[in-house]
Amino acid sequence: MPTPPTTRPEWTIPIDPALQAELEKHVLVTSWDELLGVVDTIYNWGRRSALWPLGFGLACCGIEMICTASSRFDIARFGAEVFRGSPRQADVMIVSGTVTKTMMPMIARLYDQMPEPKYVISMGACASGGGPFKEGYNVVSGIDKFLPVDVYVPGCPPTPQALLNGLIALQRKIDGERLDIPALGRKGNTPWYDPEVDRDIPVPVFGPDLIDVRTLELTAERAAAGLLDAREAALPRPALIPAPRPEAPGPAPDAAAEPSPAPAAEQRAMSKIELIRARSRGEAVPGASAPTSAGKPAARPSKKLKVAPARPSLVWLGDEGLAELASRLDAELGSGTATIVRAALLVPAEKLLDVAFFLRDRNPIRYDYLASLQSVHYEDCIEVNYHLDSTARPGSLIELRVRTAEAEGAGEVPSVISVWPGADFQEREVFDMMGVRFAGHPNLTRILMWEGFAYHPLRKDYLEPYYEAPAKVFPSRIDDGQGQHRRAEELNPFGSNVKIPRSFSGWDRLDPAADVKGAGRMPEGTGVDVQELDTDQFVLSIGPQHPSTHGVFRMNLRVDGETVVGLKPVMGYMHRNHEKIGERNTFLMNFPFTDRLDYFTSMLNNFGYALAVEQLMGDDAKVPERAEYIRVIMAELNRIASHMWSIGFLLNDLGAFFTPALYAIEERELILDLFEWAAGSRMMCNYFRFGGVAFDLPPGWLDRCRAIVSDRLDRKIDELDRLLSENEIFKDRSRGVGLLSREQAIAYSAAGPVLRASNVPYDIRRAAPYSIYDRFDFEVVTGTGCDVYDRYYVRLLEMRESVRILKQALRDLPEGPILPGKKSYQIKVPAGEAYSRVENAKGELGFYVVADGGPTAYRYHVRSPSFINLTALETMCLGHTVADVVGILGSLDIVLGEVDR
Amino acid sequence: MATWQIAVILVKIFLIVGLFQGAVAYMILLERKIAAWAQDRIGPNRCGPLGLLQPLADGAKMLLKEDVIPGYVNKPLYILAPAIAIVMATIGFAVVPFGPAGLDAPTVNGNPIHFQIAPNVDIGILYVFAIGSLAVYAVILGGYASNNKYSFLGGLRNSAQIISYEIPLGLSVLGMVMLARSLELNDVMSWQDRNGLGPIPAWGVFVQPLAFLIFLVSAFAETNRLPFDLAEAEQELVGGFHTEYSAMKFGMFFLGEYLHVITVSFLTVILFFGGWDAPFLGVEDTSWIAAVLKVGVIFFKVTLMVIFIMWIRWTLPRFRYDQLMNLAWKALIPLALLNLVVTMVLIQLFRGVG
Repeated sequence: MPTPPTTRPEWTIPIDPALQAELEKHVLVTSWDELLGVVDTIYNWGRRSALWPLGFGLACCGIEMICTASSRFDIARFGAEVFRGSPRQADVMIVSGTVTKTMMPMIARLYDQMPEPKYVISMGACASGGGPFKEGYNVVSGIDKFLPVDVYVPGCPPTPQALLNGLIALQRKIDGERLDIPALGRKGNTPWYDPEVDRDIPVPVFGPDLIDVRTLELTAERAAAGLLDAREAALPRPALIPAPRPEAPGPAPDAAAEPSPAPAAEQRAMSKIELIRARSRGEAVPGASAPTSAGKPAARPSKKLKVAPARPSLVWLGDEGLAELASRLDAELGSGTATIVRAALLVPAEKLLDVAFFLRDRNPIRYDYLASLQSVHYEDCIEVNYHLDSTARPGSLIELRVRTAEAEGAGEVPSVISVWPGADFQEREVFDMMGVRFAGHPNLTRILMWEGFAYHPLRKDYLEPYYEAPAKVFPSRIDDGQGQHRRAEELNPFGSNVKIPRSFSGWDRLDPAADVKGAGRMPEGTGVDVQELDTDQFVLSIGPQHPSTHGVFRMNLRVDGETVVGLKPVMGYMHRNHEKIGERNTFLMNFPFTDRLDYFTSMLNNFGYALAVEQLMGDDAKVPERAEYIRVIMAELNRIASHMWSIGFLLNDLGAFFTPALYAIEERELILDLFEWAAGSRMMCNYFRFGGVAFDLPPGWLDRCRAIVSDRLDRKIDELDRLLSENEIFKDRSRGVGLLSREQAIAYSAAGPVLRASNVPYDIRRAAPYSIYDRFDFEVVTGTGCDVYDRYYVRLLEMRESVRILKQALRDLPEGPILPGKKSYQIKVPAGEAYSRVENAKGELGFYVVADGGPTAYRYHVRSPSFINLTALETMCLGHTVADVVGILGSLDIVLGEVDR
Repeated sequence: MATWQIAVILVKIFLIVGLFQGAVAYMILLERKIAAWAQDRIGPNRCGPLGLLQPLADGAKMLLKEDVIPGYVNKPLYILAPAIAIVMATIGFAVVPFGPAGLDAPTVNGNPIHFQIAPNVDIGILYVFAIGSLAVYAVILGGYASNNKYSFLGGLRNSAQIISYEIPLGLSVLGMVMLARSLELNDVMSWQDRNGLGPIPAWGVFVQPLAFLIFLVSAFAETNRLPFDLAEAEQELVGGFHTEYSAMKFGMFFLGEYLHVITVSFLTVILFFGGWDAPFLGVEDTSWIAAVLKVGVIFFKVTLMVIFIMWIRWTLPRFRYDQLMNLAWKALIPLALLNLVVTMVLIQLFRGVG
């Protein structure tokens, strides 16, 4: 216990030094200052021992924060387990995760609502400085840009131990506080008692970008000066490639694949990493096309590039089937309806709806399931493409292409909501990110960014505020003269991650109190009429900071009493620009980012991404047997871990305070231990590589894994089954709640346990088998209840099936290499496009990659199950009560990292 | 009334209020420890030995926190609500016997010393229920005055809930009242002690098992504890009625809730577990040693009851609002009425016999 520096007491009577020494030894308080020191000590002790955190988690770190409260780490020992949902009752705000611009005003507001004395712990790399997502256009580079931070906890994410250490550091800091007592002339460090000091943080405003009102004038001045335009004019821009054309009878693509020997010899002079660096600087690269001057598109690799075989996905309809389908479409709907372009049907925009209806209703294979919808910005057009599958004939995937004008805001495509309602959010996302309008969409508003955001960020001509070069590694990080670190802030004229168009003039109309994100998403009270009494309805906004929205998700509910008569989800509070950043990363560099999509299932995300790129690489990345088995083992372990969490927290949402959740995640910790042992990290494993896995299993790992699989997991699943499945309250709360019929589930493109609980036996592991799943004996679990209970029960049974797969895989695991060649840090990916599908714990996870032969993906899109499953939320919730909405959301098992990406 | 009697009453008031306020602080620690044990954790252990000073730290922090009164609240009601919560929870103890009172009370110089603040109030049970119903105003006013939609919903839920559960709660104790032929709590206790079949005492839980179940369920609802904590419903309403309260005002709601738990535990023990009744203690034993033992017994039983209530909280999920209402109106009230009628008939039938 540190005592404040004491001054020697002023004795008025001369005293014997021995006596004085004796007195000082035995009497604790010998001066005013020491007396106040004792007061300080008690005062500090009270606060340090009862630090109640504000219960909100932003991203991945939030999960580790919850784990800190779990049995293994037990933050309760420090008296800090009382997570309060209301900021009024909290003492410390743990900013756990990426702070996005969309979320920042809420965080500032929450901070202002907390009573003094209040503290802030910045948990993780993102909260401390932007972390891996720093270049994102929607990311605030560190919470300390706005809030005063007391303790920074490093890590990505920090382990629970690190957070505990952060808490202890905060306690030490509190120990050092001295009361400020002006009456006694004592100067302390407790400014919150000074009525003169205003510690409130002004809430930033949504304008064309997030605007910090403290620097409003300066920002306006600099925007008007056009400094940013000047800077951007000097930067190398990403090159655009033309959209693929129908194959002309000519030289086969394989002929072009042969590398010319001369440039290869020249390339050998430069190391691979130097090549990337040079290319990212826009410098001349041997073997590449002519050097580019600043402001012009950077060089893309030479025309003689290797092209991957054309196929939309690994398992699909096939060339013959597609040709037949194209001719059928031409015959039915007039010639020119469908042209085959690189194994996909190019459909004119005006015929899209006809084709869609035909495919869904009249085609022999009924394409009733819209697997994914995304868009690509090409040189000459914006292409929207649709991946379709049939639930009756799974695995007959086809791709439709629709092209529209390239210019910003000019593109328009008919909306397919009337055919596949699951397109709703995906079309809004394309509108938000690419600026393509969808004619006939009932509510075409921005979904991830806010109304008024000045740009459509996934267009290739949009450069982020911290943009430096088309590909990493950025020149500022490697220029020798500049030292190792030139902060991105120094390069941007606003000094922060802000980009405001020169033409913006609405400075006076900015309103910090306006709900820019939620406005326009206010539900109308339609459909459900609950009472004969004349009652008033009101809108209840749940989230983005709320104990059971599983992150920073928000729902605007219109309620009549307790009954929900309207619901609109509002998202984007954790949009951290995964796709835009993914287009800047080299292929290999992107692995750790996929970990952070659905941060419960990093192995499964790795799996999907690896498959997408391996599909392009073909035989260059042929996965050895051992690696295939290891991949499956990791994936299934991860599925169990994720389902455990999901089941536990569903119960938590239904009101069982944490106990089932903590029991469920006990085993998850053991699985995470296995991951940490094999990959080096608990949550963000980054374990897969193209063609294999990063490391072989360490000695002893298999024994431990076998022990856990055969001894513990089965027993834990039985325990959960025994304790929960027959619990009366749980059954009452979940049976018949959140109904989603079979037809609705398919129409809304629901996936994973949500789809299967509605009695659709559609599991990508069986529907479009990848890796070696066709070798294992397991059931596709379905439920018939279509409700919350069945979603729970399907997950429970799926864990049993995963254990079955694990037992088989562990039995058959062969010896051998884990990579096809030796480890390489720079891989060559042939040009082409690929869509990979894996069965994530939440549903179908798809990665759509367009490669142009360069070191980075040209377009990189994630079909995220959590995001698309939310489309059905409104339908499921109407007519139920507020309490049910929370349970239904829990049964969807969304992860915000994946919803908002 | 003699001066010394007033003095004795004052001493009892200070003792009881002080004791229970302190007990509440430690109940919160107990709750956190029980949560920890239920969840396979350790729980607070850094403040003092075994974390025993944790309540002091919590209290110190609560008192020293900034007391925010948001600008948009209805100020008088906002301040009044937590005061009502704590006052109503405290004055309920006036008639609760925490040891032998009335005829069984030990005497000093021939004057009985009742282990009850207000002895011989012949409407004891009515008083407790009346005060218990008043406590709902704390929640309703808190929810209303906060001017917050979550608080509002919490207050709304609570008013309906308390009004509904008052009925089965009241009906369920009537059986015991009829058996004991008294509304006075110590009469109910001594009736349970005096009757019984051989070694089995005539505790309420044995003679009125259905009433006990109904009472227990309603008591959970009355105290806003899981599975009926709909007014607070952290997962749905963030904090429910106390979302906007900070510092000690929030603490007062907490204190009120736990005091309520103690009251309810006392009532359960008195009505259904024989109060201070133990195999070796009888009504006729009015010695001081017996009195102290009786106090020990009743506190022991109450502690067990409190632990039971806490244990439930960390075990069960929460009901939904409409299910809660259905349970009260469609199950508990008819059952309570049935129980009442059956009890009446049986009493009439056996009147001549027993």
